[in-house]
Amino acid sequence: MAASSDLELLEDLLALEERLTSAYEAALRRDAIDPELGDMLLAHENAHVEGLQRALRDTGGRQSPRASVPPPELNTALRDRATFARYALEREAQAVATYRLVVAQIASANLRQALGSIMACEAAHQVALRNSLGDRPLVD
Amino acid sequence: MAPSITRREALGGAAAALVIASCGGGDPAPGGGPRPGSGAALLGSLLALEHAVVAAYAVCDEVLRGEALRNARAIEERERRHVTRLQGLIRGLGGDPPSGRSPEEYARTFPRLRTGRDALRFAEDLEQRQLRAYLEAVAELPDLGLRSAAAEIAAEEGEHLGTVRVLQGLPAAEGPFVTGAL
Repeated sequence: MAASSDLELLEDLLALEERLTSAYEAALRRDAIDPELGDMLLAHENAHVEGLQRALRDTGGRQSPRASVPPPELNTALRDRATFARYALEREAQAVATYRLVVAQIASANLRQALGSIMACEAAHQVALRNSLGDRPLVD
Repeated sequence: MAPSITRREALGGAAAALVIASCGGGDPAPGGGPRPGSGAALLGSLLALEHAVVAAYAVCDEVLRGEALRNARAIEERERRHVTRLQGLIRGLGGDPPSGRSPEEYARTFPRLRTGRDALRFAEDLEQRQLRAYLEAVAELPDLGLRSAAAEIAAEEGEHLGTVRVLQGLPAAEGPFVTGAL
């Protein structure tokens, strides 16, 4: 019972991470993000995807359980770096909010801690993106 | 020009803060009200650490200037809110939240901060320790509501850590897993 619930939560996170990965790949292709920042963010998201796929396998799930279509807003967001940074900021904020819920809910204590370390990374991504926009790194 | 503190010295200071937080040395433990295993003791440890961190930021503020100072003060304000939140959670479990030491007592355990760079390095180490403590708490706390609160604060600590790194000219995140790994 608990295991299947954990599986669903991990699948949700994997889908979310795959959307972030696609967004940063597209932004790098279209020069909609500073390459150094984009490479770092993409490398982190790829590592999160790999970690979640491993966790899914360990929990008895299948790899890449869902296919997803890029959201239509992404195309609009790719028109310039500032627009993409604001789009990415929103996606990262959603990611942090989702991880917060999952980290509290997931039954495995080991996974809670590990997923929390990804959540903290996504929170730091928000800081990096605000910094790239020339905004204050911390907002209330 | 005065030499800057080394990372080892900064870590020593952060370790001192953690010792103060976890061992108390005069910090009262949460009262006898909460039932064993409620999570009150763990929350008490987090609260003691938050008290030490608030004191540490006040010391950092003395050598920081400009944007770094503005951000440090914003972080300090958030840490104060964490203190209030943890106090409420402990009381909700029937516990007595531990009070902190005096700023002077804390200051004696911190490294000497001569420059803004020293202060940011010290703050980075403190934020790493806090984040680790909250993520350990998320793993251990028995109640969903308490875990949600700890996760919410941990996310903010992740932002603080990213901020003090950016203020040092470093990437906001050191790697894909800020503490631990999946």
